[in-house]
Amino acid sequence: MVERLEKRLGKNQVLRGVSFEAGKGEIFGLLGPNGAGKTTTLRTICTLLAPDEGRIEVLGFDTRTAPAEVRRRVGVVTAEIGVYPRLTARENIAYFARLGDVPERDVNRRVDAVIERLDISSFAGQRAESLSSGQKQKVAIARAIVHDPPVLMFDEPTSNLDVLASKEIRDFMVESRSRGKCVIFSTHVLHDAERLCDRVTIIHQGRVVANGPTAEVRRKYSDLEDSFLELVTA
Amino acid sequence: MRWAWIVFRKELVEILRDRRTLMAIALSAIATPIVLTVVTQISSQTATQSYTVGYSGDVPTGLDTILQAVRLDLKPVADPAAAAKKNVDLGVVFTPTTVDEYYDPTRQSAQIADTRLQTVLGQYNAAKADAALRLKGIDPGILVPLRITAHPLSSVTAAAGNAFLSFFLPYILITMIITGGFSAALDSTAGERERHTLESLLLTPAPRSRILLGKIAAVTTVSLIAAVVAIASMFVAISQIKQTAIHVTLNPIAVPVMVWVAILVAASFSSITLALGTLAKSFRQGQAYVTPLYFVTIFPASIVLFIPDFNPSLAYYLIPILNAVLVLRDAIVHNAVDWAPLAVSTFSLVATGAIAWFAVLRLFTREALLTRS
Repeated sequence: MVERLEKRLGKNQVLRGVSFEAGKGEIFGLLGPNGAGKTTTLRTICTLLAPDEGRIEVLGFDTRTAPAEVRRRVGVVTAEIGVYPRLTARENIAYFARLGDVPERDVNRRVDAVIERLDISSFAGQRAESLSSGQKQKVAIARAIVHDPPVLMFDEPTSNLDVLASKEIRDFMVESRSRGKCVIFSTHVLHDAERLCDRVTIIHQGRVVANGPTAEVRRKYSDLEDSFLELVTA
Repeated sequence: MRWAWIVFRKELVEILRDRRTLMAIALSAIATPIVLTVVTQISSQTATQSYTVGYSGDVPTGLDTILQAVRLDLKPVADPAAAAKKNVDLGVVFTPTTVDEYYDPTRQSAQIADTRLQTVLGQYNAAKADAALRLKGIDPGILVPLRITAHPLSSVTAAAGNAFLSFFLPYILITMIITGGFSAALDSTAGERERHTLESLLLTPAPRSRILLGKIAAVTTVSLIAAVVAIASMFVAISQIKQTAIHVTLNPIAVPVMVWVAILVAASFSSITLALGTLAKSFRQGQAYVTPLYFVTIFPASIVLFIPDFNPSLAYYLIPILNAVLVLRDAIVHNAVDWAPLAVSTFSLVATGAIAWFAVLRLFTREALLTRS
């Protein structure tokens, strides 16, 4: 739950009273043009940034008072696929399992499980520096979910990927929803949002300009792209 | 501590798979023996090299033979003073009762030739005076009312070895500790930002202080490995170079002092380089930040190279790096630990490390760490 979130970065007031709520077993779309404040919102939810005003709660934990508890319950996948190049895919995932507070006795089992789930086995032993972008993105997803977080956040996850790799990410989000996860999907690709999201919030210049079930927002206008353009150019 | 241990292990694996770090360590292992071999060759050549003395007048009987024996070659010239400026190493005008010597002190060859000539002339004069007095039945001992008998308390070879170690070992140790960890420190800070792994790392529940502790421990370890490799190769090289007259053994007191000082220097400078790496947006920018650090820190240490008998007050031991070099030098030369300088140096290095730790922790926990990139 995000309530009246305000955030200033340097001289820029990036967020101006952003509020929304995302629940279990849904894909929640955070839409907006570049610079709207989507990434700042996500970074504030996952405690990388502290809110100036307002309140954020993740599964009952306040980001200000219990940041480590929030981070235990959140997995984040970003467009910038950062993996440790000199570690193998498996070592990358295992490192984040340990940092994600997975008990040492469970690390191998968890790592094996995500490797199988994301079909990483064929390159699990290769150093990350030799992997393709799509393979690296799979490792990045595996790293984000290896501690089995109930909340998953995807920040423009397909922007650097080809069509096939993008589809795999979308399929993964749908599968996560079916597993009861709360999936927050930040994107400016409206076609993806229209197909995947159960509910959407459109942010423009740090303010929420539309909020509700995807179908409802789309019904109000002819389609999501029309509504988006109308709202951000208003 | 579990978090720090996890980060430490991962950082160490990554660092030891990094070609840049391995190259730096390997280079130090190779460079030290090469430098030592070259220095030994040059010093050996200097000792056996002949110098030319341009002279006019009559050379006193027998002096030419002695000069030849100490590799001072006599060459007749018209104007010894003019020749000494360029053509020969020394110019000498012999008269029946005087020797006028001309040399240019800015030329090292002139200085060495001058020392040899002064020694030879001193001995020649003494021998002549001795013979003249004996001819007249006078005891030549009257010329030396106070006879000096030297009793060296250590062997000349050991002294040479100590002198050699006292400036070479601290210099190599400090240089390798500082430079050996540069690449690793930048890779785990600026490199992390450049590779876009920093955000994922900070998203884990691990406290940032523990993440940093793991990184500092890894960089410290690599710095110490680099130093140990360089010093081990230095000892191997010394034992293998046959021409060297020096025999070096590290005394038992110097070893624990060296280990203690090395750990302190490595830990404090790891924090400093990590802080500078945290400020940088990329590995390349990080290099630009840490390179001046090397010169700033190594400059005071060089004092010991240029002034071997530098005998400082306790206040000098407050200067980081210089204090480490001085403490090591004292332990090697005197084979004893002077506790007051060691305590002051320890305080100084711990304080440096603590300040650097708080600085890097502050940098690592601020929001700008992510938003700047």
